[in-house]
Amino acid sequence: MASLAAAFGSGAMTNSIEELSKADVIFVIGSNTTEQHPLIGMRIREAVLKNDAKLIIADPRRIPLTEHAAAYAPLKPGTNLAFINGILNVIVSEGLTNEDFINSRTEGFEEFKESITKYTPEAVSLITGVDADTVREFARLFAEARNASIVYAMGITQHVTGSANVAALANLALITGQIGKEASGVNPLRGQNNVQGACDMGALPDVFPGYQSVTNENIREKFRAAWGKDTACDIGLTVSQMMEDAGCGKIKALFIMGENPMLSDPDINHVEDALKNVEFLVVQDIFLTETAKHAHVILPGTSFMEKDGTFTNTERRVQRVRKAIEPVGNSLPDWKILCALFKAFDCPADYKEPGDIMEEIRSLTPSYGGISYNRIEKAGLQWPCPNLEHPGTKFLHKDKFSRGLGKFTVNEYRDPGELADDEYPLVMTTGRIQHHYHTGTMTRRSWALDREYPHGFIEMNPVDAEKLGISNNNKVRVSSRRGEIETTVIITEKITPGVVFMPFHFGEAPVNKLTSRNMDPVSQIPEFKVCAVRIEVAK
Amino acid sequence: MIALNKEDIVKLLKVWSCSFEVYAPARLQDEVMLMPFDEKSFTMDYLNTAMPVKEYLLEQKESLYNWKKNDNDIQITEFDASKLKSRIMFGVRACDAYGIAYLDRFYTEEFRDHNYALRREKTYIVAVNCTEPGSNCNCLSAGVGPFAQAGYDLQLTPIGDEYLAEVGSEKGKELIDLAADFMKDIGEEARELKAVLQSAIEDKFVSRVNLENIAQVLDETYNNEIWKEISKLCIGCTGCTSVCPTCTCFNIVEEEGCSGEKCRVRYWDSCQSDSFTRNAGGHNPRNEVSRVRYRIYDKLKYIEERFGFKGCTGCGRCINVCPAFINIIEVAAKLKQEYKQDIETMNRDNAAAAKFEIHTHDSEHSCESVYKPQIAVIKDIIQETRDIKRFIIQYEDKTLHENYRFTGQFFEITIFGVGEIAISIPFGPSQKDYFDFCVKKAGRVTSAMHELKIGDKVGLRGPFGKGFPYEELKGRDILIVGSGVGLAPVRTMIIRIVENKKDFGKLVVIASATAYEGLVYKEDLKKWNEIDGVKVLYALSKPTDKVEAYTGYINDLLPDLGLNWEKTTSIICASPKRIKAVAKDLIKLGMKGTDILTSLETHMRCGIGKCGHCKVGNKYMCIDGPVFNYEEMLSLPPEF
Repeated sequence: MASLAAAFGSGAMTNSIEELSKADVIFVIGSNTTEQHPLIGMRIREAVLKNDAKLIIADPRRIPLTEHAAAYAPLKPGTNLAFINGILNVIVSEGLTNEDFINSRTEGFEEFKESITKYTPEAVSLITGVDADTVREFARLFAEARNASIVYAMGITQHVTGSANVAALANLALITGQIGKEASGVNPLRGQNNVQGACDMGALPDVFPGYQSVTNENIREKFRAAWGKDTACDIGLTVSQMMEDAGCGKIKALFIMGENPMLSDPDINHVEDALKNVEFLVVQDIFLTETAKHAHVILPGTSFMEKDGTFTNTERRVQRVRKAIEPVGNSLPDWKILCALFKAFDCPADYKEPGDIMEEIRSLTPSYGGISYNRIEKAGLQWPCPNLEHPGTKFLHKDKFSRGLGKFTVNEYRDPGELADDEYPLVMTTGRIQHHYHTGTMTRRSWALDREYPHGFIEMNPVDAEKLGISNNNKVRVSSRRGEIETTVIITEKITPGVVFMPFHFGEAPVNKLTSRNMDPVSQIPEFKVCAVRIEVAK
Repeated sequence: MIALNKEDIVKLLKVWSCSFEVYAPARLQDEVMLMPFDEKSFTMDYLNTAMPVKEYLLEQKESLYNWKKNDNDIQITEFDASKLKSRIMFGVRACDAYGIAYLDRFYTEEFRDHNYALRREKTYIVAVNCTEPGSNCNCLSAGVGPFAQAGYDLQLTPIGDEYLAEVGSEKGKELIDLAADFMKDIGEEARELKAVLQSAIEDKFVSRVNLENIAQVLDETYNNEIWKEISKLCIGCTGCTSVCPTCTCFNIVEEEGCSGEKCRVRYWDSCQSDSFTRNAGGHNPRNEVSRVRYRIYDKLKYIEERFGFKGCTGCGRCINVCPAFINIIEVAAKLKQEYKQDIETMNRDNAAAAKFEIHTHDSEHSCESVYKPQIAVIKDIIQETRDIKRFIIQYEDKTLHENYRFTGQFFEITIFGVGEIAISIPFGPSQKDYFDFCVKKAGRVTSAMHELKIGDKVGLRGPFGKGFPYEELKGRDILIVGSGVGLAPVRTMIIRIVENKKDFGKLVVIASATAYEGLVYKEDLKKWNEIDGVKVLYALSKPTDKVEAYTGYINDLLPDLGLNWEKTTSIICASPKRIKAVAKDLIKLGMKGTDILTSLETHMRCGIGKCGHCKVGNKYMCIDGPVFNYEEMLSLPPEF
């Protein structure tokens, strides 16, 4: 998100979901869309099946969408940046650039152009394992499309080059002018119903709501005026930094809301040490999670069915969520818990209902300025929506980027934080499966979903399985430099040889015991997608 | 004929509300749903309700019974219908009313599902006929609409400023009597007006596919490429089955309520989820291709073949909700197109499966409570092999043993709080006052059962299923083959034959397993071998010094058994693959397929042909089987 903000001035999906069905070319990279975002996957399928769109996919796994793909690049985990730079190289060398767009709406092109000369398809092929002609095909299809859209998800952000990967995709949109119009842009798919909303509301270390910088003095003043002179105005910590600081005793107390780092954070052994190390741990969740088990105090939150409020979805659409049943037991909606905490700290928090909070958001957040409960009673509104007359924004950067000119950036490829070697010869990438959600706090409690996948597994190519003498459904021990777990093997042609895949939903085989704390230097997102492992048959 | 003024409709609903709970179409946000009647949200301007009326008769989740444990005493409380109020479902469309007609047939005949039946008795269906078809409406193609034909008590047809009212049942008369103030007599010409209106509406249908003969077309298109194509699209979201007015499958789950009350509940289940047919050992007889094909076959073929009702009412909901654009009617149209020329010549008898007689419920248990188990006590436990235990079980109420009539092929055993499993009957009728069951530790329930101790209580439902045709086999030579725990379902026949040896010719038993240690009934096998005219052979993968055994396949033993193959009946219980291998060799030796019997005990759950898990083609393994002869077995789609 930070990279999109740097390139365009705004970190969110540039387009709306329904526009995808109108794109001529869709480039999917690092997103198993039909399984993780089925409704968006449906739009992509609609584009291909009904509107003859060309779908191009780069992924180490032959994901279900590849059935519809015009071109598929099975790249090695962690090599996205080389691949994208390769595409950019071809676009420049074959003269497929959109000169008008580059001249009128961008800056920094020359320096960028210089930086990609070394990423020839042949050079890139050696790094990524994708043949040079496929790189060329991707470049041509994308650049020559009338409307091309890029769709990506965690598959490119959870790398040490995560921010650079996104920045390179921004370069791709800029160099071809595939942005700022319908069905054409850069579209990060958010993994949760309201992760966009959480970011919008400033649940990031360096911004107030609406991505207003905490370092800007005018903005600081605005929030001090609204929230009091003690409002925190310094850049805070990322989740990764918090765990590091908790581990070494710098952080004494942690309040975790609706997160389950004991399954979802990398290197769980370290997370456990860190959580045990804090003097006071409060966990707010709707079920007793692996993390909540370590808490000194557990605050019972409510599920989506028991509370009023809004969720902001991946296409920047702010929508109402409505209470269907009263909170079960002694649980409370999150806003009431927070208000009670504010009061305990002697801060004013006299909101009567979530609508009051929405009014405050409106008054302090320009992009939400026109989003009131009245207006979203029936259908949601997409930000930016600066005033009550504004209809909301379907796609971003129409005539002008949020930051003015689109900015080309230089993004040099580097190897993943961990490479396969003799001791750990396979590269493991982690992710999700269709029927489970994140750490399974909810989905593993539903018989119908849990029955689909009652336990974890590791996917492996038949070539590797044969080498290791492993058959389908064998129990295996997977070890990395940080730990080991046991799971069951699924042998499938759908994964590239040399690569294995594990979902992280399962507490019985917590894959993040294996992953590393290597992270992207800008966003500090951990490198969940690359981890060197060794696999042996378990007794 | 009678009619009422359109403007009186709200008054009518208010009058009915005095004596009934009235549910009527309500516009909430952008959806119209059948909701408790409320004048403010009530609407007559709707294509159809988002969900079929089915959800009020077979609730998405409903309790089958609650149970309580005091010390070692287990008490069961069943669903109490006396609390139910009579309800009117107003505004049901023709497609959904037809769905109810089918559900009535499905749930209330053979084994009567009392939850459904009790709700249904108290439910009055008022159909309101459509005047505008939607783009995915196919009731015309399905042959059940646009005007209601079945499943309604009263139907209203909008004609001009009036609704023509037609009674479909005694219940409908009752409703008319209550509403006499609003009803007026109109002439018989209204019938004609209705017919004119109907043909005008039929002209408006966008989608028209002649579905006649579709079942025969499907016979020929089982391996069509289209199924592979669809399987690549389907994401297994199960939306199609959730909104279908004729989907009946459910899953049974043990739950504990907020205040600790324990109950067995059922939830709607879906054949479109991958795990629907997966068994405890991980084997799944359907893959992604057979999974998507099965739904369409069931709707367009199996339901009609078995129950004489259309399986698809053409409501169009599955098409509307599918995120992958799978359209059952388009699929049917495509297949019909491909087979257009062949239709006339198609052999009508070429149905995928032979017609079997449906085995009616003849257990001694009350039909009012087909889901309620009888409490039984574990009297003894024998460890047969490393992972197989034998449980000696007796009903708590001993009169149940006195009245027990020997029949069926399996029991449903409940481990309270864990679940229920089908376990075959390994004993004969001479065993009077106790049962014994052989249980292999495989899944969650069997593992829990293995933890039980003598004196613990379990629940029993049954006996269920069509057993081996004992009487018909008299006078014949018998070959019985049991592989591993597969000896249990055939033991019942061995016992009965051994006890009445004079009625039979030779008996040969082949016990097969990986190792001798893996065999059940080791002592029985030795004992039987000593009986005159009975021979017990062993076919093991690993050699043993415990008995004289052949090391190798069962098949190798067959030629030298010295049986008169023409007057021999074989009973085989093994994996489907093994059954086929043995049966093929027996046929080579001169046996007829109809003389080879087998028990296909594949993922049976409810035991009474309702939950749908064990349905293979148009057969339910639990009531049409599990015993089938080899020819019948081959006529089933290979999904068991």
